[in-house]
Amino acid sequence: MASQVTNSGPITVEIIDRLREIVGADGILFDPDELLVYECDGYVVEKKTPDTVVFPTTTEQVAEIVKVCNEFDVPFVPRGAGTSLAGGCLPVGGGIMVTLTRMKRILEVNLRDRYAIVEPGLVNVHLTQHLKETGFHYAPDPSSQGACTIGGNVATNSGGPHTLKYGVTVNHILGLEVVLPDGSITQIGGPIEESPGYDLAGLFVGSEGTFGICTKIIVRLTRNPTAYRTMLGIFESVTDATQAISEIIGAGIIPAALEMMDQGIIEAIEAAFGFGFPLDAGAVLLIEVDGLEVSVDAEADAIHKICKAAGAREVQAANSPEERQLLWKSRKQAFGAIGRLSPSYCTQDGVVPRTKLPEILESITATGIKHNIRIVNVFHAGDGNIHPILLFDERDQDQIDRVLKASDEILEKCIELGGSVTGEHGIGVEKINFMDKLFTQSDLDVMGLVRTVFNPTGNCSPQKMLPTAGACGMEHIKKSHPGRQAAM
Amino acid sequence: MSPTAIEASEEFQPATPAELSRFLAENSAGAQKPVYPVGGRTALNYGHLPSQNGIAVSLAGLSKQIDYPNRDMTITLEAGMRVETLNKILKDQNQRLPIDIAQAHRATIGGAIATNASGPHRYFHGTLRDYVIGIEAVTADGTVFHAGGRVVKNVAGYDLCKLMVGSLGTLGIITSVTLKVRPCTETTSLIWATYDNFSEVDAVLENLLVSEARPVFLEVFNGKAAHQIIGESRINLPEDKPVLCLGIEGTEAEVGWQVKQLKREISSIGPDELTVLENDDATKLTSTIQEYQTSSDDPISFQANLLPSHTMDFVQLATEFHVAVQSHAGNGIVLGHLPDDASTPEQAEALLAPLREKATSGQGNLTVLNCEDHLKDQLFHYEDSTPEWNLMKRLKTQLDPHNILNPGRLFPVKADSAT
Repeated sequence: MASQVTNSGPITVEIIDRLREIVGADGILFDPDELLVYECDGYVVEKKTPDTVVFPTTTEQVAEIVKVCNEFDVPFVPRGAGTSLAGGCLPVGGGIMVTLTRMKRILEVNLRDRYAIVEPGLVNVHLTQHLKETGFHYAPDPSSQGACTIGGNVATNSGGPHTLKYGVTVNHILGLEVVLPDGSITQIGGPIEESPGYDLAGLFVGSEGTFGICTKIIVRLTRNPTAYRTMLGIFESVTDATQAISEIIGAGIIPAALEMMDQGIIEAIEAAFGFGFPLDAGAVLLIEVDGLEVSVDAEADAIHKICKAAGAREVQAANSPEERQLLWKSRKQAFGAIGRLSPSYCTQDGVVPRTKLPEILESITATGIKHNIRIVNVFHAGDGNIHPILLFDERDQDQIDRVLKASDEILEKCIELGGSVTGEHGIGVEKINFMDKLFTQSDLDVMGLVRTVFNPTGNCSPQKMLPTAGACGMEHIKKSHPGRQAAM
Repeated sequence: MSPTAIEASEEFQPATPAELSRFLAENSAGAQKPVYPVGGRTALNYGHLPSQNGIAVSLAGLSKQIDYPNRDMTITLEAGMRVETLNKILKDQNQRLPIDIAQAHRATIGGAIATNASGPHRYFHGTLRDYVIGIEAVTADGTVFHAGGRVVKNVAGYDLCKLMVGSLGTLGIITSVTLKVRPCTETTSLIWATYDNFSEVDAVLENLLVSEARPVFLEVFNGKAAHQIIGESRINLPEDKPVLCLGIEGTEAEVGWQVKQLKREISSIGPDELTVLENDDATKLTSTIQEYQTSSDDPISFQANLLPSHTMDFVQLATEFHVAVQSHAGNGIVLGHLPDDASTPEQAEALLAPLREKATSGQGNLTVLNCEDHLKDQLFHYEDSTPEWNLMKRLKTQLDPHNILNPGRLFPVKADSAT
């Protein structure tokens, strides 16, 4: 049984030598100073440095690394660009971090059969850039797409603004090559759209690194829309804006994207990008419809009318491709602008039924006031996927405590409204204590059985996704805060 | 053609998931009889045929609507609901589940999910894996479990919804599901174009990949299938030649523009004749195409899964063998019915072997869908020796260690290790 419960034993010279033999001297880090970069991902509340970081360049190297980890009973965790906002890359209990950023080739693009085969370390946007002149793109577009890797997207089943119409990562994955936690290499699914048997690729996507390490990804390519209309709806209040969202979806219109930004975030974005957002607006909606030239105007008109009826002060159209680009840049890099508001932030990722958006936003405001934490909002409104951003200074423990309390209350409210605690960021270590609030013990037991098939020892990404790792006596974890898990 | 083992089994019809759970728990702790989940009994001969009598668990008593917040565009319902009933509930709110499920008056939504039913519209709308966002099921030992939820975006926990779609009732009995639904479309048109040969059709398909229009399906029929479809639909259309049939849906303006555009695009590689169907004719022909696979009485049918670029080549070969062929050409899926005279295993295999060889040589696969029970053992097998199938077997063993649920359906039961 793996020793994921406590810190792994010291990484011996022998282990390091063996790993170095596999990846070469420039493919391994073990100096504490160098390891510091890997102590956390986009979720900065919890930190733990891995004992060693390796950078494989081939599937075979990944398999060999995994075998060495098993031989010495050392836990291992895969990592892409480390943009997880839920601590998905945190090496709980230490061990070996397998960083896949050097496996970033595009191995095949087959337009006729509408797929591409890529390595996991490929940065998301690089695939779409590569396809630029082809009339096709890779649809999932997380806001971090300029940095995050497609392997990481597979692990967390990432979303993004345009997933409202086009679906999340799993809807675009045809097959995977994976190194299972026992070190064997298996292909699941493939470029052929359908095969008899279980949909293992569908199951693997979103397993947060607990089923193994994917080393090749076969993605579906999507035809580019021929026309866009991008609009900015300006509202006096968040309530009016959420009402408009509810009316748009209720009217059976599915925009390509429907994003909300409140006053707090507008202020930061405006300071950073100077788009010309109105600073006195309560909220703005960034709405995009796409499709055929013949249909986008009618859809845009319908949305315009709904926004006005819901009390929009104004609905502006992006008049040029440049203006559209800048609008999207402002939205997608909103998180980068937050530095203007506070030294640290923590983003939540709850989901509610779309008609409950007004209710959850009121609750978020009240929670912020109650705990004296400033909260700003920028999120995928059309999906009901909220991203309240809690601002704090991580040097102040009291603030951290209040942020954690406020986060918990917001997520509990999402559950109460019939939603979920994560729409696209994953459970990671951050939300592991919510699993038994969302799911019954039986649900978790069945999920545990499924994990055992892939990861019987629990050595691969220990302490992720399920409150108990399907292994030895970690029950007390459920009651303690994740803050202490990382250090264990 | 119903498999005799299931027909001969006694039936149990639970009224609640709890009752089903108790029943399965008792069975698992006691007699461990084989359990065959049944919905509308429209797909009982999928996969390997079960050989042992057991208990047929009918979901007919679990057919209620649970929650339909239509403005959220999701619906939660019990798995035994007929697809026709679901379609009607949705239509009343101008919404739909855009999945082609044949025999909707009999088929249940649970059965459709367990068999991963799909049809022409998968080209544009995807398959059930893209629509099932929440699931409740009961494992062989009576454990009731859930996965997903009732919101359209959710990554909490493992996505067991994906695991259950297409699992042929071998991992758990689905008791309820939450589906994402879509708005209804205003209008539909079809283009029916005949060609001299399949290489012309292939060239047209390649052009359509970069079409300015967005057809919702790209169906190809050979002359034999086209003849049968026209016979069923009683619409007067050119037949006995390769047919490319395009589906177009949307608002009046979108459909009108696309029909014009597509006519222009596909005319660049000479169709023989080209007919546009609108309104009732379009609806009627669409429905005939959706039902075609179940309306044919040819004895042996198969499905081949291929790369789209290899599909017309395969269709050509099948046509030479007098197979009636329907192809979801944009998805690389070919459904074929062998001719009547291929009625012995030897005759059938003489056709199937070269077709299977053709499919596998291009990374594809071929499986027999329907045939007489006594032929199944000889004609049917999954290519189940890969590491991927090994993982599937381990999943089955982990979730159903006594092999109670649909034993033999996906993984053949060895005579000596029968439960």
